[in-house]
Amino acid sequence: MKKIRTHVEEWFRDIPDSEQKQAIQEEITQNLEEKVFDLMRTGKSEEDATNKAIVEFGDISDIKLELGVNNGSGISAKDVRKRFGLHLGFSIWGSCLIIAFFIFINFYYSPDTIWFVYPTFAVLWWPLVMFYKWLGWK
Amino acid sequence: MIRSDIIRGHLDAIILRLIYEQDRYGYEISKEISERTDDRFQIKEATLYAVFQRLERKELIESYMGDVSHGSKRRYYKITKLGRAYLKETVEEWNEIKEIVNIFMEGL
Repeated sequence: MKKIRTHVEEWFRDIPDSEQKQAIQEEITQNLEEKVFDLMRTGKSEEDATNKAIVEFGDISDIKLELGVNNGSGISAKDVRKRFGLHLGFSIWGSCLIIAFFIFINFYYSPDTIWFVYPTFAVLWWPLVMFYKWLGWK
Repeated sequence: MIRSDIIRGHLDAIILRLIYEQDRYGYEISKEISERTDDRFQIKEATLYAVFQRLERKELIESYMGDVSHGSKRRYYKITKLGRAYLKETVEEWNEIKEIVNIFMEGL
């Protein structure tokens, strides 16, 4: 029976530990062991029965998908926020500095013509895009 | 054995139906499916537990720990109110689909 347990552990090895994983692993082990007992009752040796149960189990990826979907959806939105938070901060600081630079040149060299608003509008697209990315819009 | 990809789309309903009849545990369900279909359809355990996860997440079934067998406890599944409603709807839908497909499949 130890073989079953080892196999189940092997199947679940690359799934991150969680209470849910523990529970489903325990359940599968218990059910497979019961299947092995049933097969042995029909006259199979323990080894044959164990092998049959393991082979018939099927593709573990279905379960992985279900377990993965569970954890995945919650993290992704938060992840996006965290990643674009930095981009947003950088874009705000960057555009402020660029705009300040244009204002300085404008008023220092040509105070009679107000032209700094034109590059300012162009630069403002940068933090605007980052803001919407941060909100999670495509 | 028949192609399982067509049945696959109806597995949720098949398993819900079995749990609807009485609370059951995993191995019991796979045995029941094989028995009722005279081994013409056998569900892979991996698929079965994936379905359990999905149904539980959708709150169509819930689980609890039951009696002890071979040294460890069995996990039983029980249908919820939502599960009953869902099953009823699925059965109606299935009857409709069956009629439509039959229009083209019957009589040949």
